[in-house]
Amino acid sequence: MTTSSHATAVRFTGVARSFRGYTAVRGVSLEVKSGSFLSVVGPSGCGKSTLLNIAAGLTKPTEGAVEIFGQPLNGINRKAAYMFQQDALLPWKTVLGNITLGLEFRAADPRQAVQSAQTWIHRVGLDGFRDHYPHQLSGGMRKRVAMAQTWIVDPAIVLMDEPFSALDVHTRLLMEGEILALWAESTKTVMFVTHDLEEAIALSDEVVVLSAGPASHVVGVYKVGLKRPRNLIDIKTDPLFVDIYRSIWRDLREEVLKSYDRGEKA
Amino acid sequence: MLVWQILLGAVLLLAWEAGASAGLLDKFFFSRPGDVIARVWQMLATGAVWGHLSTTLLEAALSFLIGVTAGVLFGFVLARNEFLANLLDPYIRIANALPRVVLAPIFLLWFGLGIWSKVALGVTVVFFIVFFNTFQGVREVDPVIVDNARMLGASERQLIRHVLIPSALTWIFSSLHISIGFAIIAVVVGEYLGSSRGIGYLISQAEGVFDTTGVFAGMAILAGVVLGVGALVDRLERYLLRWKARDAGSAKGAVA
Repeated sequence: MTTSSHATAVRFTGVARSFRGYTAVRGVSLEVKSGSFLSVVGPSGCGKSTLLNIAAGLTKPTEGAVEIFGQPLNGINRKAAYMFQQDALLPWKTVLGNITLGLEFRAADPRQAVQSAQTWIHRVGLDGFRDHYPHQLSGGMRKRVAMAQTWIVDPAIVLMDEPFSALDVHTRLLMEGEILALWAESTKTVMFVTHDLEEAIALSDEVVVLSAGPASHVVGVYKVGLKRPRNLIDIKTDPLFVDIYRSIWRDLREEVLKSYDRGEKA
Repeated sequence: MLVWQILLGAVLLLAWEAGASAGLLDKFFFSRPGDVIARVWQMLATGAVWGHLSTTLLEAALSFLIGVTAGVLFGFVLARNEFLANLLDPYIRIANALPRVVLAPIFLLWFGLGIWSKVALGVTVVFFIVFFNTFQGVREVDPVIVDNARMLGASERQLIRHVLIPSALTWIFSSLHISIGFAIIAVVVGEYLGSSRGIGYLISQAEGVFDTTGVFAGMAILAGVVLGVGALVDRLERYLLRWKARDAGSAKGAVA
């Protein structure tokens, strides 16, 4: 893709979005550098998912503009894939059918699609589950299918909305490691939404903190200077990690308390 | 379970038989199972019933096909078009509120004594059941699944084929169980009210000469047909909805 050489994968300029009088985000300007791993954190209900949906082209901003590799975004973002927080697999398709879906929509050669899906099934560790339906799989396995489903179409940008929040701690750590490995061997740009600051720091090059909603905006952007490849199991005790955590938490803490106050009053 | 189900039927039939033999149930009004079974056997063996049965089945099949096709089509179009759905909403309610029996004489005038007046009556019943279920089914598709498919590059047509139709299928199937039964009921009522062929005609003839055994025999044959067709739909459903967790299907029997 020639446009991928552009230095900025996603650029928000003065973006606002309201839903029937409720302003979710306002005045958001943000750059996601091409090939980087960026996380967005903030108190719950601060419009993190709204930003992601805007980058995906699923939600139109009421104000401001979004550019993808320098091109204004109109309609669905064709350069991006999206991993949702909820289960988004088609329950009536098998693991194989779900993974080949994106290729099928792009009218790829069916035999090649199946072949490519086979390698992905192996890669995400689902050998032997090819013909299973989603309801026959565990939550972690369904996430693996979703991972293969989004990465198989080889998108330049991967958007992830708290994809692992429903998993238990150990499965989650495992999946985070797999995502990092996948990303490291690619040139893809990742925009990752989470409310877990530790997860955000451990995975990302940059962490963006959003203010408490409504009308949330960017409070700060922090570089994470931890070297790669990272060992997700030990990284949380690394002194540098702790320093970064402290400095981001100072800002995030206030926003969380604000959102807590508003929640109490409401 | 099947054993218990058969046992219950047998107990009821025996009680009926015993009641009739003991004189508790007047044979003139209630007939008796032995006679009914003998009559059914006789109707089947002499071949007297086949012509009538095939007419009824043809009418039911036609009204089912036309009703389901129209219901699914309208359901889809209205579910995808907010304006049309709102515009037509009161008229659909009015049309659905009409008791179908009052339409029978009008259809007789319009379409004559042949099969088409019965088919028309059947369609008015099947259409609404399938329409409402399809409409609901398409509307209740999980928006996350739709978003996911769109992000993966689905065009509007692919979205309908891979997401909306399979998702609506559960609803459509639950309506098929009901609408097959109703299609048969409707055409039999149509035959009963005016025709020269069909099971409904047989029943009305038997009733005309106070032949209770004949009425019950007609009902027994209908019941057999409905059970058989229902079993076929069950198998088709089990195949097409094989992706569903098995326990989810248990509520269905209560509706049908």
